[in-house]
Amino acid sequence: MQTPGSYEDRRGFEIRLAVLVTVTAVCFAALAVSFWILQVAEHDKYKEMADNNFLRTIPLRAPRGVLFDRDGKVLVENKSSFTIAVIRERSRNVNGAIARVAAATGVEEARLQEVMQRHRRDPMFAPIPVIEHASFAQVAAVMARGLELPEVVVQQVPTRAYPADDLGAHLFGYVSEIQESQLDRPEFSGMQSGAIVGQAGLEKSYNTRLMGTDGDRNVVVNSVGREIEELNEDPPTDGQRLQLTIDIDLQRALEDAYRAGNMAGAAVFMNPKTGEILAMTSQPAFDPNAFANGIDRSTWAKLNNDPLLPLQDRLIQGKYQPGSAFKVVVTTAALSEGLITPDFKVTCPGYATFYGHTFQCDKHEAHGTLNLRQALAESCNVYFYTVGNMLTIDQIHEYAEKLGLTGKTGIDLPNEVESLVPSTEWKMKTTGEKWYPGETISVAIGQGQVSVTPISLATMITTVANGGTVVTPHVVKAYDDGSGWQSLEPPKPRSIFTFPPGVLQPLRDGLFMAVNGEGTAHAARIEGRDIAGKTGTAQVISKEGKAAAQGKGIDLRDNSWFEFFAPVGDAEISGAVFVEHGGYGAAAAVPVAKYVLATYFAKKDGKPLPTIESSGLLPPTPPKPTTPAATAATGTGRAGGPPR
Amino acid sequence: MIVDRRLLPHLDTRLLVTLVVLTLFGLATIYSVTWDFRNNRPGSEFWTQVYALPVAFAALIACMLVDYRTLTRQSLLIYAAVVLALVYVHFFGATRMGAKRWIALGGFSLQPSEFARLAVALTLAMFYGERGRSAQSMGELLVGAALVGVPFILIFKQPDFGTSATLLAVFLGVAYLAGMRVRWLATAAVVLALLSPIIWRYGLHDYQKARVESFLNPSKDPKGAGYQQIQAAVTVGSGGLMGKGFRQGTQGAYQFLPVAHNDFVFSVLAEEQGFVGVLVALGLYLFVIVRSLEAAKLARDRTGALLVTAIISGFTLQVLYNITMSAGLAPVKGLTLPLMSYGGSSLVATLAGFGLILNVRMRRFTN
Repeated sequence: MQTPGSYEDRRGFEIRLAVLVTVTAVCFAALAVSFWILQVAEHDKYKEMADNNFLRTIPLRAPRGVLFDRDGKVLVENKSSFTIAVIRERSRNVNGAIARVAAATGVEEARLQEVMQRHRRDPMFAPIPVIEHASFAQVAAVMARGLELPEVVVQQVPTRAYPADDLGAHLFGYVSEIQESQLDRPEFSGMQSGAIVGQAGLEKSYNTRLMGTDGDRNVVVNSVGREIEELNEDPPTDGQRLQLTIDIDLQRALEDAYRAGNMAGAAVFMNPKTGEILAMTSQPAFDPNAFANGIDRSTWAKLNNDPLLPLQDRLIQGKYQPGSAFKVVVTTAALSEGLITPDFKVTCPGYATFYGHTFQCDKHEAHGTLNLRQALAESCNVYFYTVGNMLTIDQIHEYAEKLGLTGKTGIDLPNEVESLVPSTEWKMKTTGEKWYPGETISVAIGQGQVSVTPISLATMITTVANGGTVVTPHVVKAYDDGSGWQSLEPPKPRSIFTFPPGVLQPLRDGLFMAVNGEGTAHAARIEGRDIAGKTGTAQVISKEGKAAAQGKGIDLRDNSWFEFFAPVGDAEISGAVFVEHGGYGAAAAVPVAKYVLATYFAKKDGKPLPTIESSGLLPPTPPKPTTPAATAATGTGRAGGPPR
Repeated sequence: MIVDRRLLPHLDTRLLVTLVVLTLFGLATIYSVTWDFRNNRPGSEFWTQVYALPVAFAALIACMLVDYRTLTRQSLLIYAAVVLALVYVHFFGATRMGAKRWIALGGFSLQPSEFARLAVALTLAMFYGERGRSAQSMGELLVGAALVGVPFILIFKQPDFGTSATLLAVFLGVAYLAGMRVRWLATAAVVLALLSPIIWRYGLHDYQKARVESFLNPSKDPKGAGYQQIQAAVTVGSGGLMGKGFRQGTQGAYQFLPVAHNDFVFSVLAEEQGFVGVLVALGLYLFVIVRSLEAAKLARDRTGALLVTAIISGFTLQVLYNITMSAGLAPVKGLTLPLMSYGGSSLVATLAGFGLILNVRMRRFTN
């Protein structure tokens, strides 16, 4: 090995070079430690930051399931609503663009700027939705100016489309963006804010089926947000399509009838063999489309403050005294307990006195002597005061329960309330007092403490119609999750009541006579259809109270009921019609039921459906739209059959 | 020129191979980070780098073959040529990204500042290599400072603070080896510290101030000046121990980290190859530096030792600064990573420098 050459200060050079090597090595060691800290110790933090940089998940909203009627006609579907959005990244002059959008669409520029301001922290490439639910005219206006508005895009947003005219509003309910407070609830588990969920009606009760599953696209974006590649797409699963038990022709007839008479109330028509609901309504109603488009404050306030409570589903959430319609329960109880026979007779002088108190009969000039069938047909209160006095309140409660009038019917719609038929136990529990026999007298004619929903009254009469099965009313019969229609298992009957021998026949006879004989419901008679039914007229206030409240603009007229089934021997349709402040049962509720039943039979026979003009429900005078409240104030009566 | 065959056994093949490996590391990283997603093929920068590589190694061989003493003797001529080129750039240079650094030459462009370091290294080695001269005397130290000062100011004004700083490193390296008193260095540091407010006020461009400010507080403006620094740390940190894998990086490839093929090539290496890859690259760079300093130690004369030290000082500063910056630990400067970053001029100048280092070591026994 040759030795290197020698020169002046070589030793000094070698020392200083060794220092340089050492300094360099220390620097490199420090770098290695720094990289260790970044890459190993703090790796997780930076990994997340890097992933957030380039991965974007774009939700793909699943269309909600379409709703069909029992014949396959579309009831509720999805349409596209349009959102006009501005992408700032594409604009040289955002404010100028906003001004042009405002001019083209006729929306105030300040409102658009307000939206822009709210989204000012959004990334530049993100479309800012300046006009949601834009009209076709607005969309056309900005599309036509596409060249001068390169920063404007029109996005399609799936929106629920309900039938016009508020049809089936309470049945369908409505959807809206999930509320903050709902995110924690178990039925909405796994949902994210912004999700569209059912908030009422069957949109709510069948929300899980209807919603489907949102999909998403995972994409890789670069630093300006441009998509570079798609990693995967998880397509949305459409919501299940549902076939309802509803018959749209009957539904329309029912609502037309209420609207023709300008009436508030609720009604349901069902198949007594299955509990399938053919038509149901609660009036007045609302427009579910207003919710689907994101309801504005004034519309919401109007709906909420309306004294007629359009948002309340009277069918399952309203509780009312059934009046004489309750006599079916009393009859069943007395016959079943063997307290009377159908030939039991009572003489009606127009009133009766029990426990020192005088009770009026509806017919002041006296019914004379009646047997059970006649008493049912003519709805004699004195007869039922007498029979009621033979029963205990607990017996009445027991048979009301057996017929399906108490509690909830179990309908597949949300927020049903419980119907109440009092018992000693109930009174003790709620008031701490014992039941006085005198109270039973009022209960016997469906007044006093009896308070039931229209749906439960319909269920009760259906039990009479089908001979003892307490059906569970329901509105959905089949679903299609993409693999074809499959029937939804019908809900099991709530209970079965075995009528003792000799009970059903006289009861049905009386109800048949009410319609087809000289009864209170003879206005419902349709030749050859053997309709049976019972009217009910329930006071909403005592006679004394009525006098006191006179002239205060409160509607004090009686509530009007009609419960029915047909044909009497082998019923295929049954139900109840309730008209709030309709006066006599025969006056308001009966014509509604008759019109819908006529529609049912005409459709069944393939004949032309009756028109609303033929129903006698339209006001006789030139039609003048008045609200029921206004009618009440002026005190004019309602169109309809003669009061009985 | 015919090379003396007897010199070949003294060629430092280990250093040469390490240089080749590092340039290939850089090439692979550039391939990965400049991938053209639209057309699904390597980006044009990759091919430019591929073409620059043989040119750069030709420069290395050329600088190795001519005896370095011949070159130091002609160093003033080379020095004058480079200063002229810098003056030309100052008046007629092509401006890119706000800086005048390039001379456009037909299809490609030349960055004279990259070669200024070589010229300064040769000149300083010539000056302090003379017998009896040293940086121990203030007068001779100032002569050296003046020699560095001219190109330093020209480059600083381009503006290119990073490259001019490497000239400072070249000077300090040479002066230290030539015996400059450490006391003076300390004094200079104190004076600089005292003058820093004035330099801050008058000596720095706004963009340079912004870079320093954003370094001190990157989260103040995470989308603006601090963006690169934050993203650099994210790029490196997200790589983890083993890295995301070749062409699996996201930060550079999707442009979250700007100029990833250039100033931040090491960040991408760290992202894709992980801490393991970082250790390998750091080891290779350290080997190159230590091996070069060994060449300085073995040099047969003062001129050789000073020449090697001058070149490797600039190189070392650039490597240390760039790697620190690529982890988000230093203010962002337009300072490339020698051997790995994209850029033909840089590659040619760097390998030409290593040609000189190999040259000195190869000729340690010749007279």
